[in-house]
Amino acid sequence: MQLPDELDPITFDLVRSTLESIVDDMALTIVRTAYSNVVRDNMDFSTGFCNRHGELVAQGLTIPMHLGSVPDAMAAMRAALGDELAPGDIWTMNDPYEGGMHLPDIYVVKPIFTSDERLVGYAVTIAHHTDVGGRVAGSNASDSTEIYQEGLRIPPVHLYQRGQPNRTLFRLIEKNVRVPDKVFGDLNAQIAACRLGEARFLELLAAHGERQLERYLTELLDYSERRVRQEIRAIPDGTYVFEDHIDDDGIDPDPLTIRVALTVRDDTIHADFAGTTPQVKGAINATFSVTRSMVYAAVRCVLSPDIPNNAGMFRSITISAPEASLVNPVVPASCAARGLTGFRLGDTLLGALAQAVPERVFAAGEGGNTGISIGGYDAQRNPFIYVEFICGCWGGRMTKDGIDGVTNPFSDLSNNPIEMTEAEYPLLIEAYELVPDSGGAGRQRGGMGVRKRFRFTEREAVLQVRSDRQRFRPYGLDGGQPGAAGRNLLIQNGVAQVTSSKLTTLIHAGDVFDHVQAGGGGYGDPLERDPALVAHDVREGRVSPERAREDYGVVLTPGTVEVDAAATLNERGQRAAGGIAG
Amino acid sequence: MPGSESAVVIGVDIGGTFTDLCLLGADGRVVTAKLPSTPGDYSEGVAQALAAAFAAAPDAARQQHELVHGSTIATNAVLELRGAKTALLTTAGFRDVLELRRLRMPQLYNLQWEKPAPLVPRSLRLEVHERLDARGEVIVPLDEEGVRRHADLLREQGVESVAVCLLHAYANPEHEQRVGALLRELLPGVPVSLSTEIIREAGEFERTSTAVINAYVQPVVGRYLTAIEERLTSSGGDSRLLVMQSNGAVMPAGAARQRPCYLIESGPAAGVIAAQAVARAIDCHNLVTLDMGGTTAKAALIEDGEMTFVDEYEIGAGLTIGSRLMKGDGYLLRIPAIDLAEVGAGGGSLAYVDAGGALQVGPRSVGADPGPACYGRGNSEATITDANVVLGYIGPERFAGGALQLDPALAQRALERLGRQLGMDAAAAAYAVHVVGNTRMSRAIRAVSTERGHDARDFTLLAFGGSGPLHAAQLARSLGIRRVVVPPLPGVFSALGLLCAPAGYQFVHTFRARLDRLSDAGLAAAVDDLTAQARLELRRLGYPADAVEFGYEADLRYVGQQFRVRVTLPDLAAIHPDGAVAAVRQRFEDEHERRYHHRAPQAPVELVGFHLAARVRAPAPLLDLAGVAADMSGPAAPSAATRPAYFSREEGFVAARLLRRQDLHTPVTGPALVEEPDTTIVIPPGWNARLDEQGNVVMTVEE
Repeated sequence: MQLPDELDPITFDLVRSTLESIVDDMALTIVRTAYSNVVRDNMDFSTGFCNRHGELVAQGLTIPMHLGSVPDAMAAMRAALGDELAPGDIWTMNDPYEGGMHLPDIYVVKPIFTSDERLVGYAVTIAHHTDVGGRVAGSNASDSTEIYQEGLRIPPVHLYQRGQPNRTLFRLIEKNVRVPDKVFGDLNAQIAACRLGEARFLELLAAHGERQLERYLTELLDYSERRVRQEIRAIPDGTYVFEDHIDDDGIDPDPLTIRVALTVRDDTIHADFAGTTPQVKGAINATFSVTRSMVYAAVRCVLSPDIPNNAGMFRSITISAPEASLVNPVVPASCAARGLTGFRLGDTLLGALAQAVPERVFAAGEGGNTGISIGGYDAQRNPFIYVEFICGCWGGRMTKDGIDGVTNPFSDLSNNPIEMTEAEYPLLIEAYELVPDSGGAGRQRGGMGVRKRFRFTEREAVLQVRSDRQRFRPYGLDGGQPGAAGRNLLIQNGVAQVTSSKLTTLIHAGDVFDHVQAGGGGYGDPLERDPALVAHDVREGRVSPERAREDYGVVLTPGTVEVDAAATLNERGQRAAGGIAG
Repeated sequence: MPGSESAVVIGVDIGGTFTDLCLLGADGRVVTAKLPSTPGDYSEGVAQALAAAFAAAPDAARQQHELVHGSTIATNAVLELRGAKTALLTTAGFRDVLELRRLRMPQLYNLQWEKPAPLVPRSLRLEVHERLDARGEVIVPLDEEGVRRHADLLREQGVESVAVCLLHAYANPEHEQRVGALLRELLPGVPVSLSTEIIREAGEFERTSTAVINAYVQPVVGRYLTAIEERLTSSGGDSRLLVMQSNGAVMPAGAARQRPCYLIESGPAAGVIAAQAVARAIDCHNLVTLDMGGTTAKAALIEDGEMTFVDEYEIGAGLTIGSRLMKGDGYLLRIPAIDLAEVGAGGGSLAYVDAGGALQVGPRSVGADPGPACYGRGNSEATITDANVVLGYIGPERFAGGALQLDPALAQRALERLGRQLGMDAAAAAYAVHVVGNTRMSRAIRAVSTERGHDARDFTLLAFGGSGPLHAAQLARSLGIRRVVVPPLPGVFSALGLLCAPAGYQFVHTFRARLDRLSDAGLAAAVDDLTAQARLELRRLGYPADAVEFGYEADLRYVGQQFRVRVTLPDLAAIHPDGAVAAVRQRFEDEHERRYHHRAPQAPVELVGFHLAARVRAPAPLLDLAGVAADMSGPAAPSAATRPAYFSREEGFVAARLLRRQDLHTPVTGPALVEEPDTTIVIPPGWNARLDEQGNVVMTVEE
């Protein structure tokens, strides 16, 4: 495979690496200048760059769940605003039903022009804002039942027009969000990143000339497409069907199903979600943009990591989903907590891919991060909103254990430092630790679940939690067992109560919320796990001696953490003879 | 070396391949030695290098001397997981903070990624019942009995080193200190690293990780320093040992024993120190360094004559461009270090055509063994060094001072094969490899320059290391840099830097106060208190604490902001007593506006931390680099010899003059190649080169 004849490999490399450094520099600008902890510490944002047709040519090192959302966002913004395009414009949008994902994710896009006013590209940023109004602080509630409850809905509009700020919009935002200084601070960070992207891209343009650069930008997309097609061709043809579930939508008790039929044919992949539950009342509906994003991201996980992330990647992948379903909802479905369905889409897709390329995936991880927000007003009526996304663990892999304590790969987030949290919010974190016996048993053990315990110290606040995997545990693969279920505990006035996975409730000083996240699924038959590794896990407090015997058939010499080889052989032999697989 | 009265200063830098030595005599004369490192016992290599130097400078051996040492021993202990059996005591509920880290993964979409294994196993992470709040007030008193029980367990387990990190100890270290005292009493001979003794800063993971790394390398470093001191004693003479830190200052060996984490990744720091010395000598205030060796290239920035620092870095994170954004591949150390960016582009980096038809260079590398194809040791794939041989930049006979005979035919064959895949001849392919390698390196340079809002074009590029001078001019041009400097002794430049390093130490201290509620007296008292603590600590570490001067910086932000802006504190004594807090606020707002283009005069401002840099007052070293260069100037007239070299596809091979450094007393115009014992300086067509008074080769190009 070669580059087209007229193109020079040196220039190709230079254009490619310059674009990569532009989107990375944009991301660094956001990290440096953002106001909120969601953006700065959790790093819930993305940066990208599009060519003049609105096609993604490079994406920064950011959130995979945002990867495939840019095409829809760009199409919506170009359709709405493209006719009156002018230098100095900056666009914004957050409407899930006009190109967005959920209201907190605000897009800021700057069309880029040459000095003689010709459009040459777009700098693109997406950031999860601390609050965009609506009935629950953090604008993340999983129990809103209409989009109208979820906050300020911004269709594609000008944030700046010909260099002038859209004061009407700024005033509207100011009056509709709980923490306007943070929202404006983060919007400014997005604008600064776009401006940097603009300056760097114009330098690249000046160095190569418009026509030549365009040829290389085109080739960059073709190059990604070639590489993706080549790798898909190596995946065995077939239709791989997988189903996974969400406990409930937080309103109705019924479990929800995501079903995918993933068809690999020659150098193409089609994902069809027929058979998925219709859209729900709770706010976990994932717009089609989210669904597409997750398909791209999941497929991306089984391809070579060095393929550039751009629109060329998407060309060999098609997606269909029934209208008005959980994964392709229509107005007025609420979708603030769509991340959960996004994560479950990831689990479902990896489950299907496991049938085709079992060596490249892991058994289910924690099921996506747990979103927590605690918001209220202090004695001086100053608002506070604590937002955290608790992560996570990975399931076992064909040759490696799952990871204990790590981000979900579809949303590469960081945790909030406890010492910072306690210095800035009315909270005491009483525990943040791994949970023994939570990793699903397997030849390769699933990762351990995480526990975090919050004690609230102000007068009153609304606690809002979006969690899952309390009924449907993370699946194992190839004979591995599922990970342990998650659990929420609320202690109020000394009374402890296990709550549902999704809740919005009033809390008061002294109340404790204790969250345990699900553990990852195991990979392979646990009876095939090296007994020395099981003993090591016991020594490390990751697996109890009881579960070592029960799940793995490993017997320890009483009073020690050493394997009793004979007893283990016997135990495992009996299980094999009895046909009991763990 | 400032602060010393020693007549002779010796810098010894141990790298993975070579041990480099520079000896600065009382007369200003410099002697160098380069010998293979001795990985079994690195102190052996030090002894050999010393013997070689003393043989060349017999007077020096008899005089009082000071050995300034840069070593990878602490870094290697972490990278190879060969540190001490270490335990960690933490606040109950938080034993897994070390393992949970900050959760992020540095490699998107890679489901086969592995998180680095924690340096303390879960079974040795023990919980202490105690709790402070964020103001440092006790919520749960310390359970001393529990600590005693843990001590028994650690003794039984044969633990060799202990780290302690308790929540909010930065605000009130009493519990941590009490745990430390108990452990030291109950476990004599076992070193104890308290997190707040290293940094008094909020951030439990960062502090825990730093304390653990310190504990983990402490016994290894202690044994090593003892071995070096024994070698020094047995070599006779009156000597004193100092050690390089990652922040570019040196510390007494005694301090290094207690704070060995400061030694980690100090190797590249010495090169930057030397670069700073050169920058001062040639009166150049803004300079980018390029240190390119066999596997990686590193870049650092000298801005307004000063080095730039980062607050933390990861050991073993590999190539650190992405890791500026995405941490998680290494072990986090929260101590100030010189800001270096590293990319996987060195002489041994492999070039290949990927599945989509694009040319790739690095980060895969063949290192020194088997090495590039032209080494003839079994690798037949093209590397950057092979490309440089085909291009005529490297003369096969004089490579590595003639120690290694290269086979240009093997390089040619490797590049021909690569060229067939690219549809070009060997020379064009070699040129493409050279330029793509430059593109990789330019990312490292951009990372330290443009990322900070600087324009690389305003800088001079200072190139050293075995491969830096080969690439510097063409790389500079692609970045718009118009001046390149190659210092004398580019191959032992880091060892040279050890001679120039000041003695110093850096303290970090969280201190939270709203400026509108802080009085001038309160600010002064806080700074005085910190200074007094620092003096005490410096004395304990073996610094001449009375000869120390302090530089203060403060981190501030608007209340509600999550990030900090760092400003230099004004000299409080020099300000009218009523104006100190106002002056701090002014500086913060100026800096905020400079960086973020806005200020908020009505918004309350919060002080969140102090940084205190201690520096031992001393005269600058008498280092005559021109003398070093002069040592090499032979009497011979410039030769008329040339070698064909390739600088563009349009021109193809052209005749490049072959010169020695001293020939550049007469300015030359490229194409020319300056051959030195361990590198070649490539002067492309259009570049002018001359030797300056300090012995540097200065290359310039017109726009």
